[in-house]
Amino acid sequence: MLPTIILIAGAVYCLIPVAWVFVAATKSRAQLFSTFTFAPGTGLIDNLRGLFTYNGGQFGQWALNSLLYAGVGALLSTFVSTMIGYALAKYRFRGQNVIFYGILAGVLIPGITLAIPQYLLLSAVGLAGSVWSVLLPSIISPFGIYLSRVYAGSAIPQETIEAARIDAAGEWRIFQSVAIPMLLPGMVTVFLLQFVGIWNNFLLPYVMLSDQSQYPLTVGLFTLLSKGSSSPALYSLAITGAAVSIIPLVALVLFLQRFWRLDLISGGIKG
Amino acid sequence: MRKRSLMGFAAVAVLAVALSGCAAGDGASASDKTVSLKIWGWTAKTQQVVDTWNKTHPSVQVKYTDAGGGNDSAAKLRTATRAGNAPDIALVEYQTLPSLVTAGVASDITKYTKGIQDKFTEGTWAQTTFDGKVYGIPQDVGPMAFTYRQDLFQKYGFGAPKTWDEFASDARVIHEADPGAYIASMPPTEFGSWAGLATQAGATWWSVKDGKWTVGIADEASLKVADFFQKLSDDGVILTEPLLTPQYDKSLNDGKILSWPSAVWAPGVLASVTPGTAGKWAMAPLPAWKAGETTVPFQGGSALVVTKNSKHPQQAAEFAAWYNASKAGLEGMINKQALYPAAIAGQKLASSQKPPALMPQQTDFYKLAATISKTAKPITWGPDVDVASTTFTDRLSKAINNHTAWRDAFTATQKAVVADMKKNGFKVTNK
Amino acid sequence: MSLRNPGAADAAQPVTAIPYRAAPARASRTGRRRPSMAPYLFSAPAIILYVIFMLIPLAYAVWISFTAYRLEGGGILGTKVQVFVGLENYFSVFSNSELLVSFGRMAVYGVIAVPLTLGLALLFALLLDVPAVRAKTFSRTAIFVPYAVPGIVAALMWGFMYLPATSPFSYITQAIGLGPIPFLNNPGLYGSLANIAIWGGTGFNMIIIYTSLRGIPAELYESARLDGASELQIALQIKVPLVRAALTLTAIFALIGTLQLYAEPTTLQPLTTTITSTWAPLMTIYQQAFATDDLPGAAAGSTVLALGTVIVSAVVLWISNRRTAASAR
Repeated sequence: MLPTIILIAGAVYCLIPVAWVFVAATKSRAQLFSTFTFAPGTGLIDNLRGLFTYNGGQFGQWALNSLLYAGVGALLSTFVSTMIGYALAKYRFRGQNVIFYGILAGVLIPGITLAIPQYLLLSAVGLAGSVWSVLLPSIISPFGIYLSRVYAGSAIPQETIEAARIDAAGEWRIFQSVAIPMLLPGMVTVFLLQFVGIWNNFLLPYVMLSDQSQYPLTVGLFTLLSKGSSSPALYSLAITGAAVSIIPLVALVLFLQRFWRLDLISGGIKG
Repeated sequence: MRKRSLMGFAAVAVLAVALSGCAAGDGASASDKTVSLKIWGWTAKTQQVVDTWNKTHPSVQVKYTDAGGGNDSAAKLRTATRAGNAPDIALVEYQTLPSLVTAGVASDITKYTKGIQDKFTEGTWAQTTFDGKVYGIPQDVGPMAFTYRQDLFQKYGFGAPKTWDEFASDARVIHEADPGAYIASMPPTEFGSWAGLATQAGATWWSVKDGKWTVGIADEASLKVADFFQKLSDDGVILTEPLLTPQYDKSLNDGKILSWPSAVWAPGVLASVTPGTAGKWAMAPLPAWKAGETTVPFQGGSALVVTKNSKHPQQAAEFAAWYNASKAGLEGMINKQALYPAAIAGQKLASSQKPPALMPQQTDFYKLAATISKTAKPITWGPDVDVASTTFTDRLSKAINNHTAWRDAFTATQKAVVADMKKNGFKVTNK
Repeated sequence: MSLRNPGAADAAQPVTAIPYRAAPARASRTGRRRPSMAPYLFSAPAIILYVIFMLIPLAYAVWISFTAYRLEGGGILGTKVQVFVGLENYFSVFSNSELLVSFGRMAVYGVIAVPLTLGLALLFALLLDVPAVRAKTFSRTAIFVPYAVPGIVAALMWGFMYLPATSPFSYITQAIGLGPIPFLNNPGLYGSLANIAIWGGTGFNMIIIYTSLRGIPAELYESARLDGASELQIALQIKVPLVRAALTLTAIFALIGTLQLYAEPTTLQPLTTTITSTWAPLMTIYQQAFATDDLPGAAAGSTVLALGTVIVSAVVLWISNRRTAASAR
């Protein structure tokens, strides 16, 4: 009984702020700051209309952009990570450790350190401000590579590869038709981690993009909240936008939760 | 396998070519016939005014981007300029303009603005002119004013305070009558507001003479302002909470914060925060440090600059002049954006407007605004306002939280600003 | 490099390596195959992207850290140009007392946030693994939900939860006659900041530990159950040691996360005067890069911070390795 109560208490703790966003999204501008925090309001329809008509329907565009950056970025990232992870786990080659640990060290560098140099360099080749400036840097994920390596190491028996070799299959073919099917659960995990990571990323698109119609949701919501001295933050719009933007992500994470293989994160250092 | 990987490499190569193709395409889109310009800003409904221009100027098409508030877009502008990607035109706050000039963002547009200078008062125009060179066209101004809850002030038996001393005694009366209520919040985060109050008291935070800067943030007048408000805060009759947070907005709605000493743009801001209290507010001239003095500084407000990156500075300047000084642009600014224009014609145009939604009963709002504006004087901002404002806010916050002297924050800011200017290579005279 | 854990990482893949000698048999059949190229080709896209988007920008940042923007040309404003200044920015980093104090604040925050995040994650994971517990799917899902909430939205939410006028918690304490809860004043501020991190991080870490637990064969504790061991005993004596690897890893990530503390204080900063613009080291760096136009100073600061992270991570791994080795003995 006690364990159940503790768990439910934890669940409530995690849901309270989320519940608040949905309640606040129902409040009109006048109600937002004049009624009790958790009292529902009557402005939901107006807020939604305001949100989706803001600046000619820009919110929908932002949502689509987020989907594009996170979807395509995570997909590319998954393939790139899986390939190198497979190579690092299943081959022995010169420079292997340098490559692996070198890439892994990437998680130690704060994003802020890289954002501006990345921007300056992408500008030099004329890509800053384009969709590519957000997509390309998102592909490389030290953590995803680490996971892929660990997963490939444990999921593909060496004998399977050897057997395929004896059947004269090419290395690429072995990867494609033998390794990938076995790696799928790991790939789903990497995909999800990257998807959520890119979806929630703020700094990179904020630094890179200067065309509002290319903003993802995070930067879009930020512009609603951050205004100059002569225009106030658009709290109602931002809150409604926040509520709407949480829904698809939570749905995705919940739906794919069963495919997660997060144990593989720690698999690599299981003594 | 080799074939496959070759294909893989080919794909990468194609991608690379496609990418550079995209980039080239972007550059080429500015064809011979139509000039396309980009503008960054943040004020509400800028898009609508830009649309009006685009309809009437088919050969110069302008694309608007909301780049976030003043400080955020200034940072983005600097970075974009170094990378060569700045927009052609950008909205900047007067106080960030000098730093954007030194960062090479704003370009000298003196030769494009000869015709429109007389559309602005001298004081307004001075805010975008340095060393005789024009770096921007003023868009809106914020002559300082006092926005207050007329109904509640009346309940306590007084009107708007004429002097700061009256403000102080009103503050005590209000807080005594309702311990949850405060006359105003004067937070350390409002650097511009403090600069305004100090200037009103006679301080000059930055000035230039013979090519040398003088910094006066710790002027005697500034320190007097610090002591004055510290007394009120120590006595617990004013707040020092940041403005326009959920906390602040709630207090406004509940009638627990009764005024906002700021500028004429305040009613527009408050209207969207506390629409339920419309009709209960009014605007009055800012309380004076000495009875009878009417001169106040400008607080806030912004200008359009043409960037050095722009390939079409002339068209960009034309657009900026249209937006800020033509009848069509000013009408858009007033009717659609509810800004208080910098141009004289705009202020005249505004005077026939209905008062802001927050105070529909105050029919003389724009007349009063024009009166205040006529004698308002600009603040000269230095090239490192960013350093000044972060130091100031941090130090004053600490002084408030640790109950130490507020004037020390001003002194510390003065020191930091002078040190930073010297480090960067400006000529600074010691005062 | 810092995450290098050769003893552990390599031990996990005792049979992973493909010796080249497997290849000749095939090579002789196809004649022109050179399998030794394969791993490089598989790695190429990642390496190329890594070099372009991480190494080169990093090198560029280090170079910038040796320069400064200085004024050039006459007039009262002039124009700033980039000049080489050697180690000057690094001297500034180490003589910046504000920055050094901010490391202390970060440490206090970390001491609260890291153990609580990991402790709660472990607790919830263990509870989820107890057979008799009900409403498991609901709880697991709910605790995981914050992971899907972007930082900017989380800050907006907690801002409302903390400010006295809009906080439902302060509403309750005020209703029963106590004052509002000082969420945003010292020392409560540390707890409030840590809370945001705990809220956002517990679910993710819980899932890592939980899936590790699920990977343990049930027979391992069936016999213990038959011997009459309580669930608590099983959890503490059998399960916790078995998920030690997962705990070490989550601890390292939590530590790195602490060193990169930025989002929580920054997003609460506009709401209170208690958080200055240099409250956390990364905030100083961000401020230099974006607000006060001192990108070189920011580059120097982040170089120092990154090196510090490397050292801290290395020390943590060294300690955990030694302990693992000691307990294995």
